Amino acid sequence: MTTNTVVSVSDLEKTYGKPNERQYTALKGLNFTVAAGEFVGIMGASGSGKTTLLNMLSTLDTPTKGNVVVNGHDVTQMRGNQLADFRAQEVGFIFQDFNLLESLTAEENIGLPLALKGTPSKVMDQAIHEVAETLSIADLLQKYPAELSGGQKQRVAAARAIVHHPAILMGDEPTGALDSTSARELLDLLTTINERQQMSVLLVTHDPFSASFCQRILFIKDGQIGSELRRGDQDRREFYQQVLNELGTFNE
Amino acid sequence: MLGKLALAGIKNRRRDYLVLLAGLTMSAAIFYMFANLATNQAFIKANGAISSASAVFGFGAVLLILITVVYIMYANSFLLSMRQHDYGLFMMLGATRKRVGELVFLETLILGTVATAIGIALGLLMSKFLVGFLLNALGLHLSHLTAVYLPAIVATALLYVGLFILASLFNLVRLTRTTVLKLLHSDELANQPKVNPVRQLIQGVLGIVFLAIGYWAMAAITDLELTAIPLALVTITLGTYLLFRATILTIIRALRRTSWAKKRLNGFLLGQLNFRVHNYTRMLTIVSLLFAMALGAITVGSGYHRQLPLMAEKTGTYTIAVHDANAHEQKLIDQLDSAYTATYTQKRQGKTVYYNAAELKRQPVEQRAYTKTGMAKHVSRQSFSEFKKSGIKDLDFLSLALGKVGPYTPKILSAAQFKRQAGQTVTVTTVRVKHLAADLPTLKRLNRLETARFSQPAQMTVGNYQNFVLVLGIFGGLEFIGYFLGIAFLAMLASCLMFKILSGAPGDQRRYRMLYKVGVRHGLMRHGIAKEIGILFLIPGIMGIIDVLFGLQMFKPLMAAPMSPYQGIGWTFLIFIGLYAIYYLITLGLYWRIVLPKSTDA
Repeated sequence: MTTNTVVSVSDLEKTYGKPNERQYTALKGLNFTVAAGEFVGIMGASGSGKTTLLNMLSTLDTPTKGNVVVNGHDVTQMRGNQLADFRAQEVGFIFQDFNLLESLTAEENIGLPLALKGTPSKVMDQAIHEVAETLSIADLLQKYPAELSGGQKQRVAAARAIVHHPAILMGDEPTGALDSTSARELLDLLTTINERQQMSVLLVTHDPFSASFCQRILFIKDGQIGSELRRGDQDRREFYQQVLNELGTFNE
Repeated sequence: MLGKLALAGIKNRRRDYLVLLAGLTMSAAIFYMFANLATNQAFIKANGAISSASAVFGFGAVLLILITVVYIMYANSFLLSMRQHDYGLFMMLGATRKRVGELVFLETLILGTVATAIGIALGLLMSKFLVGFLLNALGLHLSHLTAVYLPAIVATALLYVGLFILASLFNLVRLTRTTVLKLLHSDELANQPKVNPVRQLIQGVLGIVFLAIGYWAMAAITDLELTAIPLALVTITLGTYLLFRATILTIIRALRRTSWAKKRLNGFLLGQLNFRVHNYTRMLTIVSLLFAMALGAITVGSGYHRQLPLMAEKTGTYTIAVHDANAHEQKLIDQLDSAYTATYTQKRQGKTVYYNAAELKRQPVEQRAYTKTGMAKHVSRQSFSEFKKSGIKDLDFLSLALGKVGPYTPKILSAAQFKRQAGQTVTVTTVRVKHLAADLPTLKRLNRLETARFSQPAQMTVGNYQNFVLVLGIFGGLEFIGYFLGIAFLAMLASCLMFKILSGAPGDQRRYRMLYKVGVRHGLMRHGIAKEIGILFLIPGIMGIIDVLFGLQMFKPLMAAPMSPYQGIGWTFLIFIGLYAIYYLITLGLYWRIVLPKSTDA
């Protein structure tokens, strides 16, 4: 285990609703860290608070209480443009519904984070082609999202998420809309990226198969971390079984 | 039950419906105002000069009908796009196609009827107040202009309800032929238009040819007469459409390959414009035409407004002549910004009027020089001896002493002789003002006092002010039509463009949400939207201005020298562009509100 932490969450709480209305607490004091280069999964049933957690981490939503530190930045202290710039520079996203801009080609979609930074176009072209090679989508660059299959779209989205070398890659059910072959390909790619580029990956999912690609899994139940599994030296299949077993007893 | 559900669906989107209803109402109101003027024979007959413009009105009405058809088509497709998800849901829940079809039909028809009814009511009010206001502001009086005119009401109601019945039928067919799944997942997809260079080139060339024909037709209106207008309308519409199709996409494509496109949101902006402009070509064409007509009409109207006094002040020498000015009149005369004032004493006896030579020497009578073709030149003062030969015969000078059957014959006497001459003594003061337009209110009061005191023989005019009143009677109608049409078209154009752009907002909401998630700053998104909408406003604006610059040729025969349709158009353009910019800002504000993600909702 490396000692550098990329994500550090302490005492994180989120309550929805105004004080005088009926309130709902989605997160009740979460504590965890993600080390640099780690591949962490967050599992939980629908309504367990995992999407809320991801929204806090990615600054799309603000916590009621507690701190979130990503790559040395305390995101709970940021405002306005700082938040936007943080998302643009420190975080790469992959969403279940791809979130590709259908008015842009794959190449333009991938280049967007670099364009926002004001990267020179030559550097940009090089970076796009490198990442496209890695994800084997070099021949799709001139196509529009509407011309791509789900798996291809998600690979383009992954390329966009890592092209600017963010501190952490966050995935919100990235395989949710994919068939099993595409899902497996994408997970293999994420593993490759994680291993080769030492990029931290945080995967939110309720799918045990996706989760079995992680090195460590946090199980969330009713807004708290219920348990934690480490893959260690296990084979992925063995870990998959372990995840299934854990899920079998976790929800009891 | 299904009816209740449908009603609930409408309630949820009442803001969108309000936009839709407001747009349709506005359109119906404008159509009524127009129909009211165009079909009111009594009004047209009573205003002589306008009758020549009644043909213009006819073409205007045809044009307005065409625009209305297109407008309702857009409105209807917007309505359908709002509702099809709901309809799909009803069908999935087990409602029969027939039942849903009935709902669609009724909904469209009810919306249309309500819009028409409110529109006509609004049109009545606007006819009453807006038209009155315009006439007042222009200092015009048009007879037989009424707000309530039954044939116009019937025409508006028939056209609109008829169009909505067609729209309902269209929706019915469309809906019953689409699968439930398609209805449920009808989220707007940005389809990428294919570009074929050869076809683009042909379209571009054809577009320019059509535009050239149209512009030529407008310039050659004296030869082509009234066929020029429909010819120009058709060719310019086609030409603009083809030119837009051919050039805008090509330019955007070319820009996308540059490194400029790789900076910040530029690429996104171009991508947006790429599919938007393609979808909007027809609409941009219509808006550019409306823009041209609105601007053209206002330019012509204000051209008359500005140039009639200029023309009139060159018709003779003095602006007004006041006989035996009393204290009140003298006070008004002193208020005038005078360039030359002279007072002469007349003695009238029999058919002769006698003048004092000393007075004429001290205050020479002014003459206006004319070119051989009769164009007015500068004003000058002759020497006394010259004046006795020629100036004394000037109509302007003769008019200073008008009898019941015509002017008195002037005779000049030496001071001593004049003193001895018997006859009725009258003093006459002539004033030439520097700017007729600036002194109009004072001149109007003076003239009223003067005509009340001395009944003037009919058809005889004294002074440039009287000439102005005369030409105002002839051309004032055209001036009014110009302003009226300009305002009507501007309102129509604005609601068309605003409505179309806003109906694209829900699709953009998703895109800006995505940009927000990947970390695009708020300010950057605002700028991006401002640019995008700005370009959509700019394209028809530029095309419209070009159309007007050529189109003003059409008014050359009507605005003969010394007037010119091009004189002083700068200010009119500036004011019009200012109004247009206000519409842009309103649209932008609304768009920002709809599209930009709030930082609180994740």
